[in-house]
Amino acid sequence: MAEVHVIGQIVGATGFSEDSLFCKWGIHTGGAWKLLSGVREGQTQVDTPQLGSMAYWSHPIDLHFATKGLQGWPRLHLQVWSQDSFGRCQLSGYGFSHVPSSPGIHSLHCVTWRPLGGWREQLARAFVGGGPQLLHSDVVYTGADRYRLHTAAGGTVHLELAVILRNFSRYGVEC
Amino acid sequence: EIRPNFPEFDDLYCKYCFVYGQDWAPTSGLEEGISQITSKSADVQHNLVWNFPIDITFKSTNPFGWPQIVISVYGPDVFGNDVVRGYGAVHVPFTPGRHKRTIPMFVPESTSKLQKLTSWFMGRRPEYTDPKLIAQGEGREVTRVRSQGFVTLLLNVVTKDMKKLGYDTSTLDMQTSSVIDMSEGILK
Repeated sequence: MAEVHVIGQIVGATGFSEDSLFCKWGIHTGGAWKLLSGVREGQTQVDTPQLGSMAYWSHPIDLHFATKGLQGWPRLHLQVWSQDSFGRCQLSGYGFSHVPSSPGIHSLHCVTWRPLGGWREQLARAFVGGGPQLLHSDVVYTGADRYRLHTAAGGTVHLELAVILRNFSRYGVEC
Repeated sequence: EIRPNFPEFDDLYCKYCFVYGQDWAPTSGLEEGISQITSKSADVQHNLVWNFPIDITFKSTNPFGWPQIVISVYGPDVFGNDVVRGYGAVHVPFTPGRHKRTIPMFVPESTSKLQKLTSWFMGRRPEYTDPKLIAQGEGREVTRVRSQGFVTLLLNVVTKDMKKLGYDTSTLDMQTSSVIDMSEGILK
């Protein structure tokens, strides 16, 4: 079986209008993939930046997959939330990125979006907070049923991931 | 240029330690250390420099649990107590070569304003009981932090026998063979 190691960090995020951000992340794979070690999902700490506008999380990711096929290559999906001083959380963006398929160190910049809703929801979000969220978060990393959504751009999440492959050349796969 | 970057603070020292998974073991070198205390230079750039050497060798059976270096920076507050100025962690680079990494430093923050005030007076800021927690992903959901500085690391990495065991760490046109088995770095 071929093996893939994904090791790195969710470094931080820029471009969001809110401070005090945290990120919920997860990795989704197809049926041929099996997670041998590591946690498949997690949530970062809440960071309030003092210098500059980039929120830093430095959240480590260390995953070891074994696979029998190339379909369902791992996708990393993210939800960025902001937390205010009262402890209430508000969605700031959804985003996803495929884990890079070539071995080496990669800097990923994952752009995010958030659902807009009608003018009533937008007005409520500006005054009270909250705002529409996805009921089924798998829309973030699949293409089905997206045509109904009206969204606005959020900020960018920065990741540094290293991909180490094992035994791929044995199966004739060129990466 | 390479320096710790903490614009608001001075007289800093740092501790480093390595955190790694169960399949890893250090074979030589020091796993932990403490640097000297550095003050800002008098010139316009206000450099903070440690120039601290790191030299360690690991062996492993599995890339899972790849070592991370955890840096904790401390300095005096207004009353002279030693308080933590930042924690940060980064994985040791995965490919052989010379790597420069600038890592953000953050401190845990109390959620209530009253606690922030009392901890400022008493000199006892929120700290992690075990710095190795910073290298883990689990249990971070409930922590609030403030990022307030950076530390730059310069690391030279040499790997041995990765290809022999079937691991590809870089694309084909970048693969070279490297056979010295010492990794060293400078912490500035």
